[in-house]
Amino acid sequence: MNKRSALLLVLFVVLAILVVIFFRTSGREELVKDSAGTSPAGDVRALPEKPAKTVSLFFLRESDGRLEAEERSIETNPSLVREAEEALAELIKGPSGDLVGTVPPETKLGRLFLTKDGTAYVDFSRDLIDNHPSGTAAEISTVYAVVDTLTYNFKSIKRVFILIDGEERETLNGHIELDRPFLPDYSLIAKRQ
Amino acid sequence: MKKKVTLACLVLAALIAALSSAAGAPSPSRQAQAQRTIVIDPGHGGLDVGAKGKFGALEKTITLAISFKLKALIEQNLAYRVVLTRDKDIDVSLESRAAMANNNAAALFISIHTNGSFRKRAQGSETFFMSLNASDEETRKLAYMENSSADLEQRIAEEDKDVVKMILWDMAQTAYIKQSSRLAEFIQEELSSDPRLKTENRGIKQAPFKVLTGVACPAVLVEAAFISNPEEEQRLVADEFQTQIAQAIFGGLARFIKLTAPK
Repeated sequence: MNKRSALLLVLFVVLAILVVIFFRTSGREELVKDSAGTSPAGDVRALPEKPAKTVSLFFLRESDGRLEAEERSIETNPSLVREAEEALAELIKGPSGDLVGTVPPETKLGRLFLTKDGTAYVDFSRDLIDNHPSGTAAEISTVYAVVDTLTYNFKSIKRVFILIDGEERETLNGHIELDRPFLPDYSLIAKRQ
Repeated sequence: MKKKVTLACLVLAALIAALSSAAGAPSPSRQAQAQRTIVIDPGHGGLDVGAKGKFGALEKTITLAISFKLKALIEQNLAYRVVLTRDKDIDVSLESRAAMANNNAAALFISIHTNGSFRKRAQGSETFFMSLNASDEETRKLAYMENSSADLEQRIAEEDKDVVKMILWDMAQTAYIKQSSRLAEFIQEELSSDPRLKTENRGIKQAPFKVLTGVACPAVLVEAAFISNPEEEQRLVADEFQTQIAQAIFGGLARFIKLTAPK
């Protein structure tokens, strides 16, 4: 009697273990199938170089005060907004050649938002104001370096609203009004030779 | 019968007196009609110093000095009253500056500034009028306003006859873009052709200036020279140069008035 029940118990336990193993492995098969299904997308990561795109960043030309494009490559991103942020981050870093930067390098960039009608909201830290030389010409070159860089490289951005520390501001430093969105002004850009 | 007429006259006179006194303390109403007003806006002031020069010159000080000289020139030579948006070193909001032009039914609005740049070598004078920094919808609305600008002008004159109001239309300046561009042209021509100034001619330009958007009359912003350029900074603080700038601006606006003012 004791022997019999002990045997039954052992049999039961073995059966239970087998059942568990069976379901586990079948689950694993499904998982394997899943990852097999997504593998084409995963292959992108396996490419030797990260895909890059070239953007034109606008800086000031010392000789005549016109904006001139400096080409730089940024990482491509499925999100246009992330790419636009990347381009602005490069613009803040400043030019690599003889051109003059017009966004103070101390400036920190917050998140960029793009509305359905094509208005990009760009949020800069107060450092942009605090480190700005002031004066009409300086304000114009800062505003349109930002606006033209965004609209020129990203066609779905039609106009740009500049925020400071997440808020609307009346003017940049007493001249150019920031409380309306800017349309691009390509007339400030130097013509290519 | 005679008594009745005199009584009616008296009542009418009393009514007129009451109306005109109700219009507010310094009643520019009658004066403004006989003598129109030019509003001069010395840029910045108070805590807002504007652009700074390497040698310590401040934009707000120079703009006020030039404005005083321009005021004197206008009062000596033209039958216009001059109102300054500030006559001392104080903060005045940009909206109040525009409102001052509208409250006085100004014929012209001239904002005086000195320029600043990221470029060390930037130099010269330039005159701005407002650009349409506006969304597509707004632009369409404004195009309509510009077409009916003459009509708008008449309405302003009617409404302003007796009542002093705080008038500030959000985008009033858009109805005066064409006239403002001509005024800018005249002033810039004088600034660039004056043989004494010899400053680089940067031309007339358009930009979205906060101080100009609400002004309901031809309005420009003059950048006399670059305070950020050490050479021009030293010229800007000199009384003689300030006088010459004021004379050039006066020359431009006098030409504009001659051409456009009704007889």
